[in-house]
Amino acid sequence: MANSSYYKPETIALHTGYKPESDHGSRAVPIYQTTSYAFDGVQMASSLFNVEQGGHIYSRISNPTVAVLEQRMAALEGGTGAICTASGMSALFSTFITLCSAGDHIVSSEQIYGSTATTLRYTLKRFGIECDFIPINDMDALRSSIRPNTKLVFCESISNPGMEVSNLPEISKLANSFGLPVVVDATFATPSLSRPIEHGANIVVHSITKWIGGHGNSIGGCIIDGGNFNWGCLNKKKKNKFPELTDPYAPFHGISFWEEFGPTAFVMKVRSEAMRDIGAALSPNNAFLILQGLETLDLRMRKHVENTKALLEWLKSQDGVLWVRHPEMRDDEHIKKMFPNGAGSMICFGVAGGKKGGAAFINSLSLSTHLANVGDSRTLVLHPGSTTHSRLTKKDMKSAGISEDLIRVSVGIENIEDIKTDFKTGLKSALRAIK
Amino acid sequence: MLVQVNKLNVFVATGGKDFDSSLPTILFLHGSGGDHRTWAMQTRWFAFNGFSVLSPDLPGHSLSDGNAFETIEESAEWLEKFLKYIGVDKVHLVGHSQGFLTALVYTEKNSKAVSSITAIGTAAEIPVNEHLIKTAEVNRDKAAEMMCNWGFGPYAHKGISSVPGMQPIGISRAIMKNNPLAVDLRACAAFKRGNDISKKLSMDRHCILASHDKMTPMKAGLLLAKNMSIVPTVIENAGHMLPIEAPKKTLNALRQFIETIER
Repeated sequence: MANSSYYKPETIALHTGYKPESDHGSRAVPIYQTTSYAFDGVQMASSLFNVEQGGHIYSRISNPTVAVLEQRMAALEGGTGAICTASGMSALFSTFITLCSAGDHIVSSEQIYGSTATTLRYTLKRFGIECDFIPINDMDALRSSIRPNTKLVFCESISNPGMEVSNLPEISKLANSFGLPVVVDATFATPSLSRPIEHGANIVVHSITKWIGGHGNSIGGCIIDGGNFNWGCLNKKKKNKFPELTDPYAPFHGISFWEEFGPTAFVMKVRSEAMRDIGAALSPNNAFLILQGLETLDLRMRKHVENTKALLEWLKSQDGVLWVRHPEMRDDEHIKKMFPNGAGSMICFGVAGGKKGGAAFINSLSLSTHLANVGDSRTLVLHPGSTTHSRLTKKDMKSAGISEDLIRVSVGIENIEDIKTDFKTGLKSALRAIK
Repeated sequence: MLVQVNKLNVFVATGGKDFDSSLPTILFLHGSGGDHRTWAMQTRWFAFNGFSVLSPDLPGHSLSDGNAFETIEESAEWLEKFLKYIGVDKVHLVGHSQGFLTALVYTEKNSKAVSSITAIGTAAEIPVNEHLIKTAEVNRDKAAEMMCNWGFGPYAHKGISSVPGMQPIGISRAIMKNNPLAVDLRACAAFKRGNDISKKLSMDRHCILASHDKMTPMKAGLLLAKNMSIVPTVIENAGHMLPIEAPKKTLNALRQFIETIER
């Protein structure tokens, strides 16, 4: 059972956050394609601005269509609240800048998405926020990397593209013991397969462009507040460790988000500050399209996982496949605990012939699509070394679990025999290329 | 703000405005396992519209130190000390569930200090299922889950929220599981004088009930309203957690009542 709904996930995805509206009884969630909302008098307007009541003011901050998606995501993850953003990267950036200020420090897994690594290593550094990258499942490395100014620990539940599963129960236990929240990018897992908050995480971030939307038509992100972190904790100098959430916030009548909102302090601060200042709002039209995907998430994930297991077994026996990587190929207890229904639909494998073989494989595919995305209902392939992770140094690429022969596959929900036939053609081409 | 009562820190929400004893004061009392956030969508409105607001976390709850009170009488005694410390001569009392019981007992000795009393999602007496109390003693998380399942009405169960993107059930559960639910529930169960006291109330009084309240069912709420000799306001499609799940309707009912008195 989720923390915030008594319905099962399949039902939440279809019903939560919306009842047929009173004017027309629209069964589908309507698209509120509007910038702003008429005030019913001056008093109502001022009460919205003073946070005396809930409601919508301007679609950069909140929107009714987007809010339905947010409420469904919060319920699916078992959180207290959620905010959708224009992309997964803006969800991450909003999270980092809500919790960190100049002089602060982040500890991150070294196996993360290339653009996230770039944000942490370069962009945030320009604003005085430093980051150390560590093998996240090494608890000694995690413990020794924590500094007095560390504000959060970041990882991906299944790393992109290294396929490492972060041991969330252990990471959270250790991080929380130092008064640090754990922020998890759970894009590769989706709440259908694993819910990080149940395993101790405090904030969950998604690129909902991927499996949640599921149809490759809309970019979006989401931040979910677990409501399970004590932002009122003190540092060693007995001062508030998270003044961003505890100290009076001048732009809102000196409000203390922690005192005022408690389990939703973080997500309310994101809405009040990051959404206002950065303005990375999800468009209502994209929210509608992503909601259509979310409604069938559970069904699709079952098929994604079924196809992935079948393709994994098949790949292991094929000529031209040097190695195969998927979380379920490891015998780690935390993977079984966190992913009882399958550890996602991403597979990495090494193709014979290295870079040349990889290029031949990809160029000869006719069904699978070569592009820089994952989590589409269609099967997608990519060579990360020349695309998503190309900005990393060789050393960083190695740390991120990437080699030149690596092919990343996002397994779709086509008939599995058609996927195998397509890959068989690709592998033959790879082998021919090295003869 | 933080104040000291009985040498213990008490957190008191004031609705986003500094407390001003020259304004009419409304005191909000939360229910079992709750805290000041129960009233987040009512206190700010009153504070920004000509009232002073006090919404304490009772001792042992959320941001306040100390231990929860074993009896309703003890919490009413504490309330007397608290208001004396704050320096308020007269208050409008608003209580949700167990909070109303405390308000009720407070009126016994201090009726002249009470401008009005409002009962929200409550009854004159609140018998509590023994299984729930026992669960709360050994597993607060489970008890909070049970309370939220029973406590929220149909709209909240469907994840309808007056605040965009929020999940009221998740928020309440997160608060309750960290608060002394078992002590609160035992105090409710042991309190048997509510019918007698509620029949003797002489100040202005109001009762706001929820159509789908399973914790303090409508039948019990209507009996309380009868004791108080008033016609209650009934909010449809809401459950026991009225101030959280139907904040605007609860606020409107409260405003109508209190503003009429102060006009």
